[in-house]
Amino acid sequence: MTYGWLVLAFPLAGTIIIGLGYRKLGRGPAGAIGTLMIALAFAAAVATLFSLQSHGHDHRQLVSSLWDYAVTAGVDAKLSILVDPLSVYMILVITGVSMLIHLYSVSYMKSDRGNARYFAYLNFFVFSMLVLVLAANFFLLIVGWAFVGAASYLLISFWYRRETATRAGIKAFVINVVGDVGLVLGTFFILRHSGTLDFLGTFAKVDAGAFDAHHGSLVAGCILLLVGAFAKSAQIPLHTWLPDAMEGPTPVSSLIHAATMVTAGVYLIARMHPLFEHAQAAADVGAIIGCLTLFVAGTIALVQTDIKRVIAYSTMSQIGYMIMGVSAGAYTAGLFHLMTHAFFKALLFMAAGSIIGAMAGSQSLDRMSGFRRALPFTFGCFVVGGLALSGVPPFSGFFSKDEILAFVAHRGSWFVALYVVGYVTAFLTAVYTWRMIFRAFFGPPAPEAVELEHGHLAHAAVPTNPADGEEEDTDVGFPGPEHVVAERELPMKVAMGLLAVGATVAGLIQIPTVDNVVANFLEPSFADSRWLGVEPSHGLIFFGLALGTACGLLGVALAYRVWVQKPETAPALQRRFAPVHRFLLNKWYFDELIDLLVVRPWAALGSFARGTFERTVVDGVFVGGTTGVVRAGSAAVRAIQTGFLRYYAALLLLGGAAVVLYFLIASS
Amino acid sequence: MTLSILIWLPLAFGLIGLFAGAKAAPKVVALGSLAALGVAISFVVRFKTGHGLQFVTDRSWISQLGIHYKLGLDGLNVVLVLLTTFLFAVAAIGANLREWDRPAQFYLWLAIAESAVLGAFVAQDLILFVAFFDLMLIPFYFMAGMWGSGDRETRVRGTTKLVIYTLVGSLLMLAAAIATGVLASSQHGTHITFAISDLQRLKLSTGSQEWIFLCFAAAFLVKMPAFPLHGWLADGYRAMPLPALAVFSGVLSKVAAYGFLRIVLPVFPDASVHFQTLLLLIALCSILYGSVMAFAQTNARLVVAYSSVAQLGFITLGIFALNEQGVQGALLQMVNHALVTVPLFFIVGLLAARAGGSEDLRDMGGIAFRAPVLASLFLIVALATLAMPGSANFAGEFLILFGIFRAKIVFAFVAAAGVVLAAVYMLRVFIRAMHNRVNPRVDSREIGFGDLIAIAPVIVVILALALYPQFGLKRSASSAKESVAAVGAHPAQVADAAAPSTSTRGTP
Repeated sequence: MTYGWLVLAFPLAGTIIIGLGYRKLGRGPAGAIGTLMIALAFAAAVATLFSLQSHGHDHRQLVSSLWDYAVTAGVDAKLSILVDPLSVYMILVITGVSMLIHLYSVSYMKSDRGNARYFAYLNFFVFSMLVLVLAANFFLLIVGWAFVGAASYLLISFWYRRETATRAGIKAFVINVVGDVGLVLGTFFILRHSGTLDFLGTFAKVDAGAFDAHHGSLVAGCILLLVGAFAKSAQIPLHTWLPDAMEGPTPVSSLIHAATMVTAGVYLIARMHPLFEHAQAAADVGAIIGCLTLFVAGTIALVQTDIKRVIAYSTMSQIGYMIMGVSAGAYTAGLFHLMTHAFFKALLFMAAGSIIGAMAGSQSLDRMSGFRRALPFTFGCFVVGGLALSGVPPFSGFFSKDEILAFVAHRGSWFVALYVVGYVTAFLTAVYTWRMIFRAFFGPPAPEAVELEHGHLAHAAVPTNPADGEEEDTDVGFPGPEHVVAERELPMKVAMGLLAVGATVAGLIQIPTVDNVVANFLEPSFADSRWLGVEPSHGLIFFGLALGTACGLLGVALAYRVWVQKPETAPALQRRFAPVHRFLLNKWYFDELIDLLVVRPWAALGSFARGTFERTVVDGVFVGGTTGVVRAGSAAVRAIQTGFLRYYAALLLLGGAAVVLYFLIASS
Repeated sequence: MTLSILIWLPLAFGLIGLFAGAKAAPKVVALGSLAALGVAISFVVRFKTGHGLQFVTDRSWISQLGIHYKLGLDGLNVVLVLLTTFLFAVAAIGANLREWDRPAQFYLWLAIAESAVLGAFVAQDLILFVAFFDLMLIPFYFMAGMWGSGDRETRVRGTTKLVIYTLVGSLLMLAAAIATGVLASSQHGTHITFAISDLQRLKLSTGSQEWIFLCFAAAFLVKMPAFPLHGWLADGYRAMPLPALAVFSGVLSKVAAYGFLRIVLPVFPDASVHFQTLLLLIALCSILYGSVMAFAQTNARLVVAYSSVAQLGFITLGIFALNEQGVQGALLQMVNHALVTVPLFFIVGLLAARAGGSEDLRDMGGIAFRAPVLASLFLIVALATLAMPGSANFAGEFLILFGIFRAKIVFAFVAAAGVVLAAVYMLRVFIRAMHNRVNPRVDSREIGFGDLIAIAPVIVVILALALYPQFGLKRSASSAKESVAAVGAHPAQVADAAAPSTSTRGTP
């Protein structure tokens, strides 16, 4: 047994306690219990770390199993967890960030009447995410994979009186199920030849050459695993659910749709690296899609006006970097970026939550302006997060992103194209990030900002759904009637402050040629990798660092020029490039495309089946016409009342006799 | 204690109820179903996993015709028997929550149905199986016709279609069963026998196997129902009273699926291989057709009904993967589907009670607000129904899909679309009933204590099985192996799984 089980036990206990006791607990205690349970899980994760480090370098892969889950006919699904540096790294990031977001939520959700339900869901999400990263076999991985999808659905649809929220929820869930199916089918391809669901067993089989004669199976399996990764990590073309997922409460966006769940695809590829290294074609697909996503999302983020959606597209883009990195073999760099991104992106979302609170629920950048003085703390957090996201040294995003790109460049040949796109998008990243910051915090103060400077938090006369302007159904009590800003709430301040520190200094633990903490720690998990010890040349690294700095600073400067110095430039540009603007505003028309290719055909099939096929073929042909049935009906009812049984028995007997007779004749 | 006690116990209580009068009958029959559950538990406890057929009762019934009264439990039916008694107990208790006209008769029919289903599950003689199979349908004709929901015309239509379809199926099966015994004895020159274990040894010629197979398949597929033999489904389901419908959809459809494993695969192995592709196509069509119909419906009851078509399609798919994984998955999925169907129909009833008596989704909405417990229970059942990983339904579906993946990979990919569609239609019904704005017709209120008592045990079992599906898998493993042993030895099955589908037309 390991502490790993304890890490899982606390959030699960939190879910159950809050879920069952929701009536008694009320608003305060639910948040306290939820946060406490995650804090305990974090403590257990730290304990797991120490106990793992006490093992020798070559013995840091511990498997612990509870009971046989479905063990039959060549399928060996057990409830087993794998504690190794990779999973411990993940549980530390997850529990650490989750703890802070729970703390933030205590304030953010305090006036919401669904408070207890919220924390029950949030604890359940953390439990699911931990199952996902601790699973020691494909089966349990899929379970965690689907659980986080369900938790994500529940939290996106948390304010379920809004139709926009329930629609976003079902969209997210269904796309995630597509991913689950990909994962299941991918597992089948691998299981068919490896004969085991266990990760370590599978990797051993792969190394022993189980797939040498079935290379196609392995590639197909890995590509299907990628489908799962793309759906969960919002990569093209399975990304359309993520922007809509912003319907959820902001801390949820921060935790699930920025810091943790959406990075599951990165974890998956890193975990499966022994398979992907034998299936190079699949790994290449991952790298290309990652690169495509990071660019497309970066361009869309340039024109969005909903502050949360800007950050959501930015998340998609940053995950594109990670997917590209781990697919190309830059495992530790990708995972390092996963951690720094978790810090600064969670921070940005939290800060966005604060400014949305100051705007009384409105999320539109068009209405935000000049909040610099009204929200100094939030502004500070935005600046730290924005600098980290733009890759300005010495903030954390600077080191992690450049490490990925340096490795990609080192792979040479066509990877150089990915490298170039990576830096172009780094420039775009700085532009859209600072566009958001300058629009929200600079310029003339908005009425809400003025009011706040005078000490009053704005309240909407009539609460409306920010997505479609529909009037809220206020009798339910959620979303809560009161808005909050970080400046006035200690828990929010603490959570954001700690993350800001993380976003600032986390990059320093992995500075090229200086220290290598993350890579050294993760090394046992990647000891079998062919990319182990492959390092880009110093020239490449330092060129990248310089280029990254330049892209970041240039982006910030451009944004400053367009949105602060000459605010009239932006509308002028929009008019000048109207088709491009419309194209980006419509998000490259992916939603419309999927609707046309997938949703409508099925819906048409449904109405055809119900309207036409069922009536004419099934009813008509197989019963001899509906009218005939109805006419026969009255007779049948009479029969029921007047000894129908006899009639039935007679028919049975008659049929039986006829058959017996036939065989008597036939056999003689 | 013999199996006879188990199967006749509900009937005995039903008869006692008939004489005890209208007031006591509901309680007596509910008690009887609980007693049967207790007896079933005792059998499961004493059951020795992997020891073949146990608790065998074997008496000559009609000796001239070689018909035996033979009962027995093995891995295929042991869990299903437990499931049947459990769900009938739930249905009987659930039925107790409301008033019925002529209650003594209603409960007698319910009791007869339970006895007949149990009989069909434990019968080890072909004719006995057919007799029980036909007997179990009769109570439902009466329950639909006389206590059914909806107006008179709905009931008439429903009952009529139900009768026509199942009668044809039954007659085909009776003919096929008789033919099996007669032909087996004449082809092998032995005394006539209908014991399934004997028939397994006395293999029929391929030609006979094939037409007999088709008769049995037709009967079972009608009963499930499978596409395109589901014409009775919509009207039949609409007509049936909810407690009866719950067991009808939950348990009776499983008798048909079980029939494939108990009779068709072992006794007609060559034909099973020969028609594998046909049956797989039917299964696949059921999955896709059932799913798209389910998301095109606005009646909550019919959404559940068509989702059953899809789920039974998965079960058929597993059976006709003709390998161990598929069969094991199918057996587990039979249990899972029964466990989710029963509460789903109960919940449909509860929703209708909150939406002014309408089962139409357009009259629902926002029910969750004042009914968080009901919403949570519904959510658990909905997620289990769409086979969310972590539920036992997923374990079943995983095995089924892996079985079919190994047998015929293309079918696995197409069936996977059914998994996605299941998520669409289940969440759709959940959201449209529970979430969004409150519909003006809706009176949202929490689930009552009585209803909770009826549903909660099923939810507990669903959760328990989700944690430990091995409970069923472990008991059925060796029997599942035997069930596919005959077809497994067939040359076509040994061929590479990726070979083109024509390879199933193996030579006998």
